[in-house]
Amino acid sequence: MILRRSLVVAVAATALVSATIASLTLGAVDVPVRDVIDALRGDAEPGPLREIVLELRLPRTFSAIIVGAGLAVAGALLQGALANPLASPDVIGVTGGAGFGAALILLVFPNSIALLPVGALAFGLVAATLVFAIALAGPNPGGIGRLILAGIAVSALFGAATTSLLTAYPERVQSAIFFLAGGLTSNGWTEVEVVWPYFTAGFVLAVLLIRPLDRLALGDDVAQSLGTHPRTIRLGAGMAAALLAAAAASIAGLLGFLGLVIPHVVRLAGGTSRHGYVVPVSALSGAALLLAGDTLARTIKAPIELPVGPLMVALGVPLFLFLLRRAV
Amino acid sequence: MRARRDRALRVAVATVVALALGAGSASSAAADERIVALTPFTANTLAQLGIVPVGIGQTLGGRDRLAPALRGVRQLPLSHPNGPNLEQLAALNAQLVFSSPTWQRGHAGMRRLGMRVVESEPRSVSAMITATRNIGRIVGREAQARQRAAAAQRRIAAATRGIPRKKPRVLLLLGVGRTPYAFLENSWGGDVLRRAGARLLTGGLKANGGLARISNETVVKRNPDIIIAVPHATPENVPALARYLRTNPAWRRTSAARNKRVYVSQDNSLLQAGTDVERTIRQVRTRYLRNG
Repeated sequence: MILRRSLVVAVAATALVSATIASLTLGAVDVPVRDVIDALRGDAEPGPLREIVLELRLPRTFSAIIVGAGLAVAGALLQGALANPLASPDVIGVTGGAGFGAALILLVFPNSIALLPVGALAFGLVAATLVFAIALAGPNPGGIGRLILAGIAVSALFGAATTSLLTAYPERVQSAIFFLAGGLTSNGWTEVEVVWPYFTAGFVLAVLLIRPLDRLALGDDVAQSLGTHPRTIRLGAGMAAALLAAAAASIAGLLGFLGLVIPHVVRLAGGTSRHGYVVPVSALSGAALLLAGDTLARTIKAPIELPVGPLMVALGVPLFLFLLRRAV
Repeated sequence: MRARRDRALRVAVATVVALALGAGSASSAAADERIVALTPFTANTLAQLGIVPVGIGQTLGGRDRLAPALRGVRQLPLSHPNGPNLEQLAALNAQLVFSSPTWQRGHAGMRRLGMRVVESEPRSVSAMITATRNIGRIVGREAQARQRAAAAQRRIAAATRGIPRKKPRVLLLLGVGRTPYAFLENSWGGDVLRRAGARLLTGGLKANGGLARISNETVVKRNPDIIIAVPHATPENVPALARYLRTNPAWRRTSAARNKRVYVSQDNSLLQAGTDVERTIRQVRTRYLRNG
């Protein structure tokens, strides 16, 4: 079993390293590997090739890694905390809220386009806060069923608001389509500079929650007897997932697939549900899958860029179905 | 011999009369037909041919580009992807609808209501000339349409005179979201720019719809001299949008950004075909390319 898990970690790490190298060396413009290395070491002459590597490819590669890892970890935390295999950032309303925040900026306030990541992040967090506020109020506060139903309701609310905006501004819809479809951009470090504190807080919280989530997996009563407060852990996991998913959505739009499928792939491949294993390996695998999908999306028909969502699904679903078939 | 000549004369006269009557009935049938034109190009073309439609599609950039004869005509709001509301269309009792592939999804519903649907949304200047003739044929004003098309060709030739041999490299964008789409050669805006004396940065690329999201690496490498954005925004938003585009980290070192030649168009003349293409070409030359 240890060998199997180690093999999965090795495959995920190799995939991530390979995808990183591919992402830095492949693109619409042919940059020799020597020039890529020189640019990364700071030895390259100023010029377009250096700019392409340092200002476009490097930030995009870094963004893909943190977004992929963030979404996968968010999914792993939520599936563990809610004991629900269908849990993903969509469930706590983050995706719907972020989509609305982005649509609001793109459609209603296009002259404030620089605020797009802030809008998506803010509304993603507002939606998650609403879900938790509703779930924690009234009888049986913090119950799993209550949380999931509140998430569905808030997601529907923000989804309807986004649709209304799209209908109200049909001539501006094209600007919003790519965000809603999900995809990375080559806009330098601007977006990462806005959201890195949220990613950091989310990842730190996720690491702190690993052990309590394993206790929670034994059942609420056992967890309580071991000194863990199930409601606090669920709230903490929800907060971490909300931070990670909202920050990811503000950079890469709506990519719900990663958060749902990657933790399952890791569990099926590794043969364990221990969070000490699932959370870090999900981070590695999510980053590798998004990076590979993004590299394909911008090189297959270069210089035309395709949306990353469908390519990522095309890469991830066959693997998922293969593992699922073997598991059942 | 004389009798044969008389018979031939009678046949000729009858033929001419029949043709004249036929043409007259086609023309009056078109004039009687209740027509809706969903694009500014078809609405203006109909107006130029002396036909006032019963309804026109809502235009993106206001009503400035509409012919004066269309000012009082009912405007139909258009939504994605179905186009006009079928109830509103039915209330107008439309018989012939000039639509665009954009609203293709709604065409089945229009046909079910007994309307004839004709798609007409030219994506190049030469296609616009052909479409003008086609519209004339459909509404029974073929001769007029031919004259209009010929006059448009003359005006376009005049507007494209004196273009310098050295052409600036231009990136034409739609939208100013974080993922703007670039106009390709097979788009209306792309063709107008080319005729106005620009070299499209996206030269050689083609995609369905004439728009594609292109890599910023290509933008940096091909280094545009001029960037023009066609936004969906009101004029007061234009300075902020131009500022955003100029400071876009991916483009800030391009010649266009360095030389402050990033422009935001204030209307939709580069987005949708219009009958005033020569005016658009002149505007592009004086405002953006500075070669006119």
